[in-house]
Amino acid sequence: MKTDALIRSLAENVKAVPRYAVGRRLAIGLVGGGVISLVAIMLSLGIRPDLLLAMQGFSFWVKWTYTISLGIGAIIVTARLARPDAGRLRHLWLLAVPVALLALLGVAEMSRTPPGDWLAMWLGRSWRDCPRNVLLLSMPIFVGLLWAYRHFAPTNLRAAGAGAGLAAGAFGAAVYCIHCPEVSAIFVLTWYTLGIALATALGALIGPRVMRW
Amino acid sequence: MRASEDDLRAMMIAGLDGDAAIYAALLSALVPLLRAFYRRRMTGAQDDIEDLVQETLIAVHTRRATYDRDRAFTAWLFAVARYKMIDHFRRSKNHCPIEGLEDILVAEGFEDSTNARMDMNRLLGDLPPKQARAIRHTRIEGLSVAEAAEHAGIGESDVKVSVHRGLKTLAARIMGERR
Repeated sequence: MKTDALIRSLAENVKAVPRYAVGRRLAIGLVGGGVISLVAIMLSLGIRPDLLLAMQGFSFWVKWTYTISLGIGAIIVTARLARPDAGRLRHLWLLAVPVALLALLGVAEMSRTPPGDWLAMWLGRSWRDCPRNVLLLSMPIFVGLLWAYRHFAPTNLRAAGAGAGLAAGAFGAAVYCIHCPEVSAIFVLTWYTLGIALATALGALIGPRVMRW
Repeated sequence: MRASEDDLRAMMIAGLDGDAAIYAALLSALVPLLRAFYRRRMTGAQDDIEDLVQETLIAVHTRRATYDRDRAFTAWLFAVARYKMIDHFRRSKNHCPIEGLEDILVAEGFEDSTNARMDMNRLLGDLPPKQARAIRHTRIEGLSVAEAAEHAGIGESDVKVSVHRGLKTLAARIMGERR
């Protein structure tokens, strides 16, 4: 019978699978893509000259905390959606926590700033470039995550694509922090988040096409 | 005899650790489960179902890293099977109206019925083998009487009589257990 022959041939090639194979593969895709993003930003936009000084300041760590916490949350969701029996995602609302905290910080900053300066604070010097740069820097990471997904079994492809896009966008934004000199919370809240949202939307759009198995 | 969730899960974990013999036994044990799963859900030709069973076995093999050892194996298996079925419908553009789509998409129902089937196996185990096999073929796996007769190498009337006697014994036994 044909099915028996198939089983025999499948069972001929049984390599042991490590326990955390999914996490390991995702980590390889994430780190691999992240390194490419880092190289890309160094070769194109360049690192901000005062990076070491900025790293002693508050606003730099606000940006990293925001983007990296969002990225970690998204990668956990993405790892979950890699399994066919992902079920309901009950803790999805936790992803809104970094956004809400940043918004609170933004309000606090605005209350300490004269209203006449609000527009300058919001637009900064680079609002036109920021979302695009975040989106571009997220692409290598997104490709790395898609590579990892080639051996996974997602059953909700749109959600998995959105999760991978969100993770890539957030880590791409974290990479962008080493170039971007902007300091205000409402700038980050608006323009970084816009770039991350674009990456998420892109993931949701192409997930069903590229994640089929 | 069909394996239970615990057996299947232990076999899967042994397979993940690289035991080829147990892994082959697992794949063989999945075949009747998958056949029953697809037969209940689609009215396709026998070939379609066998194709899907094979595709699912391949998916189980290539995607086995996504099975989480701490979670139920059958839930994982039927999630893979369901995805393959939906994918099959999409590819074949076979837009037949499906009644009760929600039921098809929900795995839990099938797990319950699988558990029910495991109880069934226990009951069938007490019957004479010929009767048990005839019931399994015709009532659980959905073979026709002629197919069952061919499988067992006995006459069609023999199959019918075996099913009848077996069910009668089972009914009596279940009534007895309730009392």
